[in-house]
Amino acid sequence: MLRAGCQLFNPSTVAAAKTGSNNFALEFVRWRRKPRWLPVAKSKVFRVPERKKQSEEERTELMRLHNNYKTQLRSVRQYLREEVVRQQETSTADHIVFTPEQEEAEFQRCLEVNAAWNAQIAKEREVRLAKEREEKVAYIQERIEAGKLRAEEQRERADQRIRHEIEQSKTFITRDNLDAAIETALANPVDHNYALDLEGNMLRGRTTQSLTS
Amino acid sequence: MSQKVIKYIGRTTDFRGNTLWEIVGNLSDWGIGRMVIRNMFQRYPEPCYMRILKVQAVNEQPDNERKVRVTVEKTWRGVTQPKPVEIYSTSYKADYELVPVDQEHKFLTNTKKVEPVVLPTKMELPPLLREYIKDETGDANPLINVHFKKTHNKLARLAQAGEQPTRQLSMDVGQPAKVSAKLYDGLL
Repeated sequence: MLRAGCQLFNPSTVAAAKTGSNNFALEFVRWRRKPRWLPVAKSKVFRVPERKKQSEEERTELMRLHNNYKTQLRSVRQYLREEVVRQQETSTADHIVFTPEQEEAEFQRCLEVNAAWNAQIAKEREVRLAKEREEKVAYIQERIEAGKLRAEEQRERADQRIRHEIEQSKTFITRDNLDAAIETALANPVDHNYALDLEGNMLRGRTTQSLTS
Repeated sequence: MSQKVIKYIGRTTDFRGNTLWEIVGNLSDWGIGRMVIRNMFQRYPEPCYMRILKVQAVNEQPDNERKVRVTVEKTWRGVTQPKPVEIYSTSYKADYELVPVDQEHKFLTNTKKVEPVVLPTKMELPPLLREYIKDETGDANPLINVHFKKTHNKLARLAQAGEQPTRQLSMDVGQPAKVSAKLYDGLL
């Protein structure tokens, strides 16, 4: 039984067994009902709730009372709201009240202070911008110098490489000395094989002459 | 053989009639120019009817009654709205009924009007607040403005300057209507 509330003040043995209570301690069980997430009970699935008929007089009277109440409530709320607005407009509790001349003077003073601030910031800004400009000029100059140096070095390296190649080209095998080179190669076969002995000596060549024996 | 008795099971409803789509979808030219009524509004003695001006079909949604977007000229309690009204969100309600052309005169010749309700512009304050305001302002009988917001379907209005209101508003239970007077027998 979900609704065990009626048994609380007259605890029978069943209820006592269910809740684990005894006759001395009064135990309150609140919200003893079906949890919301459980589906409709099997016995209630096909139950059709009865529609209560309201009599004409009751309906009319309830409607009148309801309308009456709403009008009263809204009127009072409107009155209170208007009163708050009225008080905010006329009250001087939370701000200082000025005459128009005072207000104008205050505004002029604010303008002057603002202009002074602006002038000061402009001065600071000019100094800062000049400094930044100088720094930028110096930086660019430095970069240009470095670029020139780098180009010079590159050219130097290239020249050196060309000179080296020219030097090397004296020993190149061309069409003219091809036959001689072949002859030389055939006359001096090179063997790249080698053997190691236990002392770690390298013994180059097997049958022919080695490169550096 | 005895007459077969139909036994209805389930919740009862006050609606009577068809959905608007069931009516409009079966008529030639979508029933433009025809008169439809809401049966729920036939409780008023004044004529309540609508005349169809424009119909836009809307796709059927699964598991829902089919809706339809219908623009009507609406007459409610004997007052014809100045602007056409669009019915969409309530079009699924099975409470509409088509009026046959030869029956339309019943509504058109019904010239009953709602008796005008003129509300007062001033109202007394609730007792405790009244005492406070008396103390603050020194006014012996302070009054507040009556809150009233005019909308398209409200037939009451606030009294003009110098006009006599037809209804009195007070900060108490007020006088019950004649119909429900016997609820207060021996109480008032």
